[in-house]
This record gives sequence, C-alpha cells and structure tokens, in this order.
Amino acid sequence: MIFSELYSAYYNTVAAIIARILDGEHSERELQSIVTERAFGESALTILPSLKSEKWQLVHADMTTALTHRPTMPLTTLQKQWLKAISLDPRIKLFGVSLTGLDGVDPLFTPEDYYVYDQYSDGDPFEDEEYIRQFRVILTAIKRHSQIKFEMVNRKGNTMFVRCRPVRLEYSEKDDKFRVVTAGWRSVATVNLAKIQRCTHYLGEKILVGEERETQYDTATLRVVDERNALERVMLHFAHFEKQAERLDENTYLLQIKYAHDDEPELVIRVLSFGPMVEVLESASLRRAVCDKLIAQRKRALR
Amino acid sequence: MSNYSELVKNFERIRAYMREFYVYGFKSREDYDKKSARSYDDERRRMESWLGDHMRFVRTAEGKNVFISIDSRAVGHNPFFKAWKTKSFTDGDVTLHFILFDILHEPSVRRTVAELVQEIDERYLAGFEGPMMFDESTVRKKLKEYCEAGILEAERDGRKMYYRRAESPDLLALDEVLHYFSEAAPCGVIGSYILDKQEKSSDVFTFKHHYMTGAIDSGVLAALFRAMREMRVVTATNVSRRRETPQRHRLIPLRVLISVQSGRQHLIAYLPEYNHFQSYRVDYLSDVTLEEVTPRFEELRAELDRMQKYMWGVGITRNGWREPNLEHVDFTVKVEDYEDYIVRRLEREKRIGRVERLDEHTYRFSADVYDSSELIPWVRTFICRIVEMHWSNREIERRFKRDLAQMYRMYGIDEEVER
Repeated sequence: MIFSELYSAYYNTVAAIIARILDGEHSERELQSIVTERAFGESALTILPSLKSEKWQLVHADMTTALTHRPTMPLTTLQKQWLKAISLDPRIKLFGVSLTGLDGVDPLFTPEDYYVYDQYSDGDPFEDEEYIRQFRVILTAIKRHSQIKFEMVNRKGNTMFVRCRPVRLEYSEKDDKFRVVTAGWRSVATVNLAKIQRCTHYLGEKILVGEERETQYDTATLRVVDERNALERVMLHFAHFEKQAERLDENTYLLQIKYAHDDEPELVIRVLSFGPMVEVLESASLRRAVCDKLIAQRKRALR
Repeated sequence: MSNYSELVKNFERIRAYMREFYVYGFKSREDYDKKSARSYDDERRRMESWLGDHMRFVRTAEGKNVFISIDSRAVGHNPFFKAWKTKSFTDGDVTLHFILFDILHEPSVRRTVAELVQEIDERYLAGFEGPMMFDESTVRKKLKEYCEAGILEAERDGRKMYYRRAESPDLLALDEVLHYFSEAAPCGVIGSYILDKQEKSSDVFTFKHHYMTGAIDSGVLAALFRAMREMRVVTATNVSRRRETPQRHRLIPLRVLISVQSGRQHLIAYLPEYNHFQSYRVDYLSDVTLEEVTPRFEELRAELDRMQKYMWGVGITRNGWREPNLEHVDFTVKVEDYEDYIVRRLEREKRIGRVERLDEHTYRFSADVYDSSELIPWVRTFICRIVEMHWSNREIERRFKRDLAQMYRMYGIDEEVER
C-alpha cells in the first residue's frame, strides 16, 4: 500500500516529538515548532492537542512519556523494492554508494518496465569514470561550500581556466544532463557538467565573493484555442512553470507563464510545436521571435 | 465543517482535485458546485494546508479561482509528495504503532501476542486516566498488517508465534541518492518516504523540465509495475474523454511510456478479450486490481519491443497480429553555415528513423511509423527551415500546411513578407 499512515507526516512528526521528549525537552512551544516544521498548515490544531489530551496515549499531559526508545521503523517491503529498483539504474554509480541489505528483494520495477521515449539521446555519460569522478568532486564541494577549479573549452574553441563555488546541480530530464550552478564566477552562471575537464577541489587560499546569479524572468501571455484537445496538452506541457490561466470564452483561454529569460529560444520552439492552437500575445520579444521564424518559413518554398 | 480533517482516507478524490487545480487552474468554485460545494471547500482547504504558498487565488468575472502554481526549477523537492503523506488513522492506530515499536525496539526482541497485550496495558497505558484497551484480536490484526508491510516478521517457535521487527538496510550516506532518485525515478514518492526518516535533508539538486504531476499517479503506477513484475492481468477503471462514464477494462500491462516533454505517462497494454494492443493515459486510470498470472506476458512484451521501432510516441494502431499499415514520413531542412546545432538537434531529438545529409546545407529525416500525426509537433519546431516534406498519409501533410497557413494569418506574416 503506497498510501498508508506508516508514511504520514503525522506519524513522522509524532516520532520526532517523542524523540525530543526523550532528549529531555518538555516545553510545549519547542514541541509545537516540530509540528510547524514537519507537518502541514493546520496540523498544529491536531497533533500536540491530541497528545496532550491523551487522545493518542503516548505522552502524558505533563509532556513525559512511557516510551523508552527513540521511535524508529524498519523499511517496508515497498521501500526496499523501490531501493532495489534504483540500484538497477546506471545513474546510481554517480554516488559511489552500495545499497546493502536488499538481497532477495524483488525490484518494484526494472529498466524494462518503463521507457522514456522523448528524452534526448545525447545525455551525459553517467557510466564514464572521469565523469563520475568529477560529479563526486562537485557534489562534495557543494556540501562543504568549498571551491573547485576546472578547465573547459568555450564556444570560440579557447580553453578557460575556472575557479568557482558550485552551489547546486540542476538535472534536466528532457536533456538527461546535469548542469552545475555556480557562484563567484563572473562570466558564466551555469555550465554543463559534461563540458568540464580536469575538475579538482581548489585547495588554495583565495577567497571568492559573490552569490549565485539571480535568474531574470519574463512573462509570456499565450492565447490557447481548445481544438484537438489543445487545452489539456498545453496546460500539461507548461505545467512545470509558474503559471496562471483564465477562460476567455467557450474554447479560448489565456495562459500566463513565468519563464527564465535565458530560456526564450527554447520557449519559442515549444510554442511553435502547438501550431495555430497557441498564439503568443506577450512579451513583444517572444512574439517577434515567433514571427521571425514564420517569416523565414514563409520565404521558403515548402513542397 | 465539524468533521473536517486535513487528513484523508481515500487518495482518489484528492488526486482529481489536485490535477484540476495544478494543470488547469481556471475553474471557479461555481464550476465545481455542480458536484458538491462542501467537497470543494474541504479539498481546497486541505490543499492550502498541505501546499501553503504554492496555492494562489485570483478573482475573475466568473468568481474566485484557486490554483496551484509552482516553478519546478525553484523547488528541490516535489510538493505533491505531501499529498501522499496525509493518510488518516484512528487514535488506536497511532497509539498502538508507537508502543509496538517501542517494545520491539530491535530485531533481537520478540514477543507473543499475549505478551504484547499485557505489556501494552501494564507498562504503557496504565498511567493514563482513561486507558485505551487493546484486545488480542486488535493487536493480532495490527501485527498481521505490519507483517504484510514487511516491517515485522512472525516466527513460529514450538506452538507459539513470536513477532519481531524486521531487519532494515543501512541508509547512511544515502541522502543525495534518495533526493535525486525521488525526483528522477518513477514512484519517487517512495524515496521521499525514506528521506523523511533521515536526520538531515539534502538540497544539492534542483530539476529543470520537471513534470511533478506524475507524482499524484504514483499509486496507479506502482500497481501497474507490480502487475508487470508478477506477469499478471489487471482490471482497471479508465476515464476516457470520449465516454461519459468510466469503464472497467481487463488488460495485461506491458510497459509504461513516460514523456519528459509533455508531462504525460501512458501504459501500453494488451486486451486479451479484444486481441488488441492499446495505450492508456496513466492519469486516467484508477482502481487497478491484480488478477491471475498470464503465461503470455513475455511473448506480448517481445511483440511490444518489435512495435516500438515504429512508435514515435504512444500511438499503436494495432489490431491483433495482422501486419500494421505503416505511414512514411520525411522532411528536409536547410541548415546555414553556422547552424551545426540544428543537425545535432535532428540527431539527438529523433527517437526513431534516420537523418541523411543531402548536401552541405540540406538534411533529411525519414521514418516509418504507426501514427505520423504524432510527429507534427516536433516537425513544427523546425519551422523557418523546412523546405520539403512527404507524408504518405496525405491528410496529415495537408493539415500541417493548413496549420502553417493559419499561423501566417494569425501573426500577419503575409503582410510583413509583402511589405
């Protein structure tokens, strides 16, 4: 059963509360902060009152407990099966960990049971030893908030020597690639991990100033005509953006999406893919980019 | 509202509301009123409680719209996982759970049902003013449930049955593994369940082009995977946009096809009663029940492997074992001197078929597929450089050209070109 109270935020919160009580914490305010941190918006109205009123007979009114061990629960079969399934994924090698204790466990799924049919075929070489080594250097540096240095060849074919602080790794399922988001590197904010060479920890004493560069956002306003099930396709396609939709009439809708300015070329072709069912109304630059593509196409004598 | 709780017993209803609020988000309360205003209010309140700042409100001429808006790049952990952590339980469930695991605090400790009942009463509940009473059958039922979940083990010793906690794998140093795969692997919510038990959370990863809606279909997906692993027939309810009422279908699940560009997941299945392969939207399926083991699973999956060579997306126009009618597709693009990336795009984005270099500036893609209409959105992404196209399904080709003409009119392109 995937939907079970065993995995519920309430059970996890109660476990954390009991652990804190066993550590000697009896202040209601402190315990309430666990609820705020781990459960939902209205959980404060239920969890601690249920414990205090002895509705859930685990804690006495004076915030003491008869339990003697920090609450823990073994992994369920479902959790073990999922772990077994990811142990079969080639990307697990990136992390250099071995998932032990899963002998005799059947995987929940295998790579044969699903297929990502529209992922680009030039994804990162997840099983390449040098790629794995660099991935781990970067991962460690992110966790330590430390610097790395590496080389990369830029668009002009020149080798660049870079020192920066990696902030996080961004993975794109569509591209099947990792990008390193950096701080303290003036010319570039992100770089494809596969383009990095000779990456090592920087052990020098030079300090880097600067935080991760702020993303510049634009808003696109799209007019969607609901023909050939376009509405559903458009809404799902753009679901991963911050967005807002409005119905204009029976089959026309207005969709506003907030997108990173740097991603505009990608957004242009994504909009084009919907043909006449989607029209860009704003921004002017996005509409211009779509028009330019159409003008160029119009000038071709398509046979 | 007096019986309102932010927890729920049945996930199915919340699944439907979450999709409406997240994917569409333009419906006002009045649109839902047709079904039940009370239900709408409760589900909306629950989602506000779970998702907090991701819930948005806007007032329109039609009324107040509530919707979910999330930039998947800005959140490292899928907020929809929270919905899976809202299962309701009784006061007895939660009390018994923590006491049982306090008694059975390590795998070497074992107890019989009678011993557990006595210890629960005397050691844990006696100190309360109105102590709960757990009889043997209640405790036995809970133990059975936990054995089925794999968190307890039962062992017979002579005439007595003992219960102990199951061994658990060592999860040290798995934070990043769990974080990454809970977002990037199917049924990631299960990884998120494990991550919840870790001391510290990982925030080293973020995700671009991340379709988070799939998370709410994890229950259906897990059931389908189980059926495939056990090579079973299932019955499932399918809501089709072509039919008013949901239908129960008996089918053999063969593979889940996941799209990372459209946010959709499909099941490819075989319908034994109709001798027919069919694709189903996973988000339209519910109530998956596992039935008997089928001896035909491997043969059918091998057939699907063969068929996938002709599938651009999920379209299978296959009735039984007759040879299918394949549709031929080719189109030619012009690439300028500085546009090598277009050739790379063709190569990396083509899923089947081949790319030929006709001359220094001209490249042709060609393929034979079951359903050539599935290629249209991709071909449109090459608008501005398409010079030739040949579709054996002439109607699809004509539609492409009609659509292009309509786009010219929509953006006033003819006037601009003539100017």
